[in-house]
Amino acid sequence: MTRVGGFFLAVGALTLPLWLQSPYHVHVAIMAGIFGVLAMSLNLLLGYTGQLSLGHAAFFGIGAYTSALLTLKLDWSFWPALAAAVALAGAAGLFIGRLALKLRGAYFVLVTISFAGVVSLVSINWIELTNGPLGLPGVPAPELGPWSLRTKTAYYYLVLAAVALSYVVCRRLVRSRIGRALVALRENEPLAESVGVDVTHYLVLATVVSAAMAGLGGSLYAHYTRFVSPEVFLFTYTVTMVIMVVAGGKGTLAGPLVGAVLFTVLPEALRAAASWQWQMLAYGLLLILLVFFLPRGIVPRLAAAFPGRR
Amino acid sequence: MGNRSIMLLTLVLVALAALAVPGESQSPIKIGVIEPLSGPVAASGNYVRMGAEIARDWLNAKGGIGGRKIDLLIEDNKSDPKEAASAAEKLIVRDKVPAIMGAWGSSMTLAAMPKLEEYGVPMVVETSSAASITKRGNPWIFRISPPSEMEALGLEQYVDKLGVKRVDFLAVNTDWGRGSIAAFGDMLKKKGAAVGVAEYMEQSATDMNAQLTKIKATGGDTLFLTTAVEQITLVMKQAQEQRLTRKVVTTGGSSSPTQLIKQAGAAAEGSYHIVFFMPWFPEAMPDGKLAKAFVDEWAKRGHPFEGLTEGFRGHDGIATIAEAIRVAGKDDPKAVQEALWKVSLMGVNGPIKFEKDGPAGKESGQSKPSIFVVQIRDGKVALPDFLAKK
Amino acid sequence: MAELLQHLLNGLVLGGTYALLGIGLTLIFGLMNVVNFAHGEFYTLGAYVSFAALALAGIDFFAALLVAIVAGAALGWLCEVTLLRPLRNESIDTTMLVMIGVWIAMQNAELLGWGGVAKSIPHPFPTAPLVFGPVAIAPVRLFALVLAAGLIAASWLTIQKTKLGRAMRATFQDRDTAALMGVGIGRIHAATFAFGSGLAAAAGALLGPIFLVYPSMGDLASLKAFSVVILGGLGNLPGATLGGLLLGIAEELGAGYISSGYRDAVGFVIIILVLLFRPSGLFARQERIA
Repeated sequence: MTRVGGFFLAVGALTLPLWLQSPYHVHVAIMAGIFGVLAMSLNLLLGYTGQLSLGHAAFFGIGAYTSALLTLKLDWSFWPALAAAVALAGAAGLFIGRLALKLRGAYFVLVTISFAGVVSLVSINWIELTNGPLGLPGVPAPELGPWSLRTKTAYYYLVLAAVALSYVVCRRLVRSRIGRALVALRENEPLAESVGVDVTHYLVLATVVSAAMAGLGGSLYAHYTRFVSPEVFLFTYTVTMVIMVVAGGKGTLAGPLVGAVLFTVLPEALRAAASWQWQMLAYGLLLILLVFFLPRGIVPRLAAAFPGRR
Repeated sequence: MGNRSIMLLTLVLVALAALAVPGESQSPIKIGVIEPLSGPVAASGNYVRMGAEIARDWLNAKGGIGGRKIDLLIEDNKSDPKEAASAAEKLIVRDKVPAIMGAWGSSMTLAAMPKLEEYGVPMVVETSSAASITKRGNPWIFRISPPSEMEALGLEQYVDKLGVKRVDFLAVNTDWGRGSIAAFGDMLKKKGAAVGVAEYMEQSATDMNAQLTKIKATGGDTLFLTTAVEQITLVMKQAQEQRLTRKVVTTGGSSSPTQLIKQAGAAAEGSYHIVFFMPWFPEAMPDGKLAKAFVDEWAKRGHPFEGLTEGFRGHDGIATIAEAIRVAGKDDPKAVQEALWKVSLMGVNGPIKFEKDGPAGKESGQSKPSIFVVQIRDGKVALPDFLAKK
Repeated sequence: MAELLQHLLNGLVLGGTYALLGIGLTLIFGLMNVVNFAHGEFYTLGAYVSFAALALAGIDFFAALLVAIVAGAALGWLCEVTLLRPLRNESIDTTMLVMIGVWIAMQNAELLGWGGVAKSIPHPFPTAPLVFGPVAIAPVRLFALVLAAGLIAASWLTIQKTKLGRAMRATFQDRDTAALMGVGIGRIHAATFAFGSGLAAAAGALLGPIFLVYPSMGDLASLKAFSVVILGGLGNLPGATLGGLLLGIAEELGAGYISSGYRDAVGFVIIILVLLFRPSGLFARQERIA
């Protein structure tokens, strides 16, 4: 991304609510932002360490429930609840990371799937804590000092800030020594180990940051939709994140964001363009087409077309 | 290659452009419908949609409302609360509907409720059974389906005749199943029955043998079953395999006895079902003529008979909204909401009139639907044996 | 005691089908390294084809089963040749993504074509359960168990004893050497995918008459199949078989003795425990993923 391009993008993002036609479009932008945070979090694992977490919805859901429960039942204010959500999700990431210490590839995937499965079932069955399938309605909107961030525009800026923060965190991580170690892990683990890189330590670190970021997304989701139910643990959320990362371009910084925007806008566009019978079928077919034309993802293809500093 | 990227870019731009396409023309009256049209309960959602379409066509045949035709804008909530909320937002903001019917499952309805309050648009709830929906202080909610507590009250008068002494529960692990167990459990305990075990099954589970083995061991005389017809079929077949012999009562109105007979056969014999529509004897409904006409029209369209026990909800929901628009004199959401308190009409299920429910000052509307019990006897649906002498 | 035996028997029947699904996927995921999220859709396809053959074309029950298997294998072959072969040199995530697309497309095509109402597959077996002492089993389930066992055995034999099986094993152990030895790599890939998909379709056609047929029936099947594959060790057929049986029994016992709500959790917890203590699966001999 060139400096100039980046500047225009930033201006565009900051002024988006002004030139969007309706609150519905702002709604779509907010959802795209939340999923952008989620996709970036998954990308840390999938793109940079090469480990696929197919239970990422678990961290998302833990963040959402933590934030919702603290504000609903214990009357916490939004900001500490958000911090707690991030922390708790990160702790879950630590748990998984340590659990999966020696596991790679398919085994890591399976542990993440199983973890998500267990957490999902707990949320459905532990009624006293989570209200079970009935969910938690009426999650309060955040407040910044005297202002309520309930309006769409205000919430958009909150999400935008989260997206920017996540992007910066990812970027610094990836470009630091830690990032290089992660790539070493992905490319050739035995070699990395042989030169003294504590591979497992970095994998756990990546998992914690990834999970914490997903928890951030979860909290934002909970306070926007104002309703949290066990459906947040649905496998389809994880699948959507995977689609966004891989189609956008895994292992790139911009890829997950591009994927998030595209795959948030696409279903809504299909909602407008096609009657309900054809929407999901079209979605599946478009996905197949996309993979065919851009097997490495969108951003790598664009980067190849416009060579220069990435 | 550059060509491929251009193709993709074009695809993306087209998609974005579609988002920017302006809404429909202003002349017809638009009513939003949010139902699960894909996913595990796609059948039920589609039945409701079919019933809604019949209501629309009947109304349009009579000239619509105030000379304007009715247009149904149908959205799929994919059994996902997030989608239900998005669909509501799209219908309200882009399509500017004055009212919505939806969203089938209780969590879908609950997820859409904040949007109703945010924009001030009423929604008629046609299926959801969670008590909290009308108790949350949302004045834009009007429900024509019975919450589980109301359903339990409807059965109360028959409990002695049924001879229920020891009860076990098997329910789908959702708000509906759990709510049903709580409501019926309370009612039965008040009537002096003993409650044994309460077992659950996941919504997509197909093997309930473990739960049935546990239930068999309690020695109870009645099993209350709450889930959709597909799972009921499986439970009955597996109960038969395990030689479980006791009275079965299904609750929730989604048991579709006709489909049960077809798919479970002898395993369904003798079971009782709480339903909100009796398409086998439409004349016995509060408005016999309307019910019969609905059954006939449904058959004419080639819809499966077993869908009637859910399809009528779609009809009644749309009929209610249409009546409110007529009374209000305009398709403005606030006016429609005020009019909903004044409507009194006859649906396929029976009379529809809303009473206040929930915290004072912000009440939701709740109608008192009619509740019926039928039984499968000799491979056919009949009035229950304890009611045979009438 | 009778209750325990009944639970075990139920678990065995369930496990047999998990094993069938697992074997198909262990070939595709374990050998071909394709994260096939559409595996459950071939399972669903088998059930729908069987339904169509029986209820619409009036073919006999056993022939319908065969038609279902052939259909699954044929569509699998088509998928491999048109979608996977061109992407063979891309990363595993790319093929995973394309199979996600296939999953979504297939399921929604079925929804569009058949509607959401569940279908019931008629079968010629008597409904009265067979009683063996304290336990009972429906004839159709016994048939499914027996046939599953037969198909599993046939698969083992194919992989171990036939030329095709040898070629498969050679290809996935060392592709270049196998190619040098004259094995048609493209054909083997297509055949393997077709084989695995055919087995999934068989599972669907066997379970269809026991349960019901509806478009989303494959989702859970996919997930369970992945668990079974990893439990048993990737590419390990006996492992997948035993893993499937174990998972089925563990789920039944968990649901019976712990809690029916947490039934699936039992399976997950077991998986986590197994992976903690035996990372390469229960039965693999120190297999490491590259």
